[in-house]
Amino acid sequence: MTDVTIMGMLAGNLPSIIGIIIGGLCIAVGVHFVPVGGAPAAMAQATGIGTGTVQLAAGSGLTGLLAAGYMYMVMSAGGAEVGMSQIALICATGAVGAMIMISVTMLVGNWVYIYGVGVPPASAKRDYDPITKDPQAPYVAAGTVGQGLPTVCFVSGAIGGLLGGLGGSLIYCMLMWVNADPAISSIFAIGIFVVNAVLPSYNIQGTIEGFHDPKFKRVPKAIVACFVASLLCGIIAVIIPSAAMLAGGA
Amino acid sequence: MSVAAGGEAVSTETANQVDTKGIVVGLVGIYIAGIAADAGIPYLIFLAGIGAVFATKMGADAVRRVCSYGIGTGVPSIGMLALGMGLISAMFGLALGAIIGVPYVGPIVGLVVALVIGFIVGTLANKVIKLNIPVMERCLMEIAGAGVLVMTGLAVMIAGSMDFAVISEKVITTGYIAPVFILGALGILHPFNASLGPDETQDRTLVHAYSVGAIGMTIAGVCSIATINPIAGIISIVIGLAIWYANFMGFVRLVKRDAGAGYVGTGLLPPGAM
Amino acid sequence: MEPAMGMGLVALMGAAATVAGCSEDLESDIGSQSNPNSQVQLAAQVGYPHRIFNKAISGEPPSNAMYCAVGAGVAMMLMSESVMSASPLLAIAIGAFVAALLNGVFSTTAYLGRNASQTRFNQYVYLDVLRNQILSLMGHAYIATFCIVGLSYVLWEQTLIGHPFPFPVIALIWGLCVGAIGSSTGDVHYGAEREFQDFKFGSGLNAADSGNITRFAEAGVRSSMDNAWFCSKFGGPATGVAFGMVVFLDNWRSTAFAEVLNGWGAVLVGLVIVLALVIYNRQIETYARKKYGPYPEYAGDIEA
Repeated sequence: MTDVTIMGMLAGNLPSIIGIIIGGLCIAVGVHFVPVGGAPAAMAQATGIGTGTVQLAAGSGLTGLLAAGYMYMVMSAGGAEVGMSQIALICATGAVGAMIMISVTMLVGNWVYIYGVGVPPASAKRDYDPITKDPQAPYVAAGTVGQGLPTVCFVSGAIGGLLGGLGGSLIYCMLMWVNADPAISSIFAIGIFVVNAVLPSYNIQGTIEGFHDPKFKRVPKAIVACFVASLLCGIIAVIIPSAAMLAGGA
Repeated sequence: MSVAAGGEAVSTETANQVDTKGIVVGLVGIYIAGIAADAGIPYLIFLAGIGAVFATKMGADAVRRVCSYGIGTGVPSIGMLALGMGLISAMFGLALGAIIGVPYVGPIVGLVVALVIGFIVGTLANKVIKLNIPVMERCLMEIAGAGVLVMTGLAVMIAGSMDFAVISEKVITTGYIAPVFILGALGILHPFNASLGPDETQDRTLVHAYSVGAIGMTIAGVCSIATINPIAGIISIVIGLAIWYANFMGFVRLVKRDAGAGYVGTGLLPPGAM
Repeated sequence: MEPAMGMGLVALMGAAATVAGCSEDLESDIGSQSNPNSQVQLAAQVGYPHRIFNKAISGEPPSNAMYCAVGAGVAMMLMSESVMSASPLLAIAIGAFVAALLNGVFSTTAYLGRNASQTRFNQYVYLDVLRNQILSLMGHAYIATFCIVGLSYVLWEQTLIGHPFPFPVIALIWGLCVGAIGSSTGDVHYGAEREFQDFKFGSGLNAADSGNITRFAEAGVRSSMDNAWFCSKFGGPATGVAFGMVVFLDNWRSTAFAEVLNGWGAVLVGLVIVLALVIYNRQIETYARKKYGPYPEYAGDIEA
């Protein structure tokens, strides 16, 4: 019999479970910040990025995860202890990686809207852009609900990327604390990430413009749902030991 | 997907029949393959793949039922949700088997955990987020359960064992889990997504599910060449390709049936549309 | 690793990513994948049957993740010592070929299935449409997969950059990323401009015109190949630039500035990059507002 027991794993990894929940909540809130217009946005009929919430959140958050995974390896090189300050750096790296991905996507998306389709970016949810104070309504094409990514959406998207990348990296770090195996941790982080990205996307019914959108007020509901879902995932995930631990304890 | 929105889907095979077949064939296939491989006969691992094919069909049918209600964010998201839960549950089941020293409980524990998580998340989606889709809980349970069976089946095929230590070494550390995860997801999502439209029929979607499941089985067979032994891998590939071919041709036949006179070699637009 | 070598690898990855992004976007334009697909799907329902390829493979990010993960899995199998220790280039080429075959199978079933499900709207299944486009789809998918699996290999290989994640998982993540970028950038050019070329440039697409896609070409009925021709002028390369920028900027800052300020240098440089992008975006936004002006149809009382 191994000395890896379920209660032992649970009690010993309480900080990791809490970390996974925090990470899950970061992702859930982050999804609300990402301006996605879904299919209508791809036809320049709605403000935001022309793709699905989950896809975009996953694309950016996991890009951040790659950067975080590399940083974790650098930090723990030579068996160095990965403590709180290192984790802060790893999560910051992941968050910035996701921000870069989503900002580049939004920028090139705007190139296409402006140069390829010939429409000025405008939001239909507010009359004036809350950041630049520019009037929006006159620039919204007839019969549409806005198009492209005005500054407020861009900033909101960058914040969304930050939170998504932060959450994904935090979950990865917490899992690494438990099993120290990048392969298991990475695939699990992806699993927990998608669960926490899909539930909020149902909450906003697939489209949102950013923090200035009235739908943003629904965040508490997603937080409740993702809290429970992350708790479940966290409890399950910390029980799974690495192969090395099984071999060592047997 | 507004296209198919509008209530319950019409079916010729009931949900209970599909689920029973999926779970029973799925588990039996995985167990025979796993036990035989532990007994030193790796050539039967293709049975785990056949279990995965049936489980794929069960998931595809659940996707078909839930997505006929129009869930707001397209077909893929619900599958990613369920497969995320399925992945975690499948690995948990196998790991629990290793912790308590009885590897054979793995697939069943994974399945039960997935059903429980699927139920809780479905309830959250309906009660907290207020999606109000009557079949949400049941369908999420089914998709997550199917995800567990598909992933366990394909992972057992690649590892040739149900022992978590072996799976961890041969499937996760090498990264073969990535194609298993995404092929399992597409196997469950693609059949309905590819047949979306008002004239979608259940038998066509389900035949398609078999064929996509067989693709997953074939690719798992390709990966198992490196991890188990080439002969077992080639057996899996040949059987997988045979299942794929039979069902693909069946799918094309049903397309001909459903498209009727609209199945043409070439031509301009239909009369009245030019 | 030598800094110069590291920079060279990052540049190589960026170049491969640019090709991959462009090819991925053209693949999805030929097949009308992702969001523009909704209009192709809708067209028949609102009385406009067409000869455009209609496929949807569970959304662009998952399908590209699948090609890349399978390509990397097969390459990994061929490279492993127990099989044939194939050279990476050969293994990646074969892996990408298998992925292209999968693309062919999934595209075929999607085209047949979707059109057969629209029989009541007089939408035909044209076998010549399938035959003409399928090889082009597979070819583009091959290029995209080859480049992405290749750049994942550079990132993963211990003697090069040495990322700790398994090779197929890295390929999966980059596949997801390229799909997300392709569907948010290049596809807009196809969905908002090429599908509605009959409408005045820059007029926006009134929701009432949804589904009224351009079905006729300069001569005859428009085919999806024409769409690739159009989108390769702007949408495809723009996607390539976007994905190349993501891969290059992200890896450049984490490789070149990893030692600065105990690693916080990389974070700061990343933040500076994001800030620069925000400012540049603001500039093109004001440019577009000035250049195009408010819509003449606007009847509200907000001053432009």
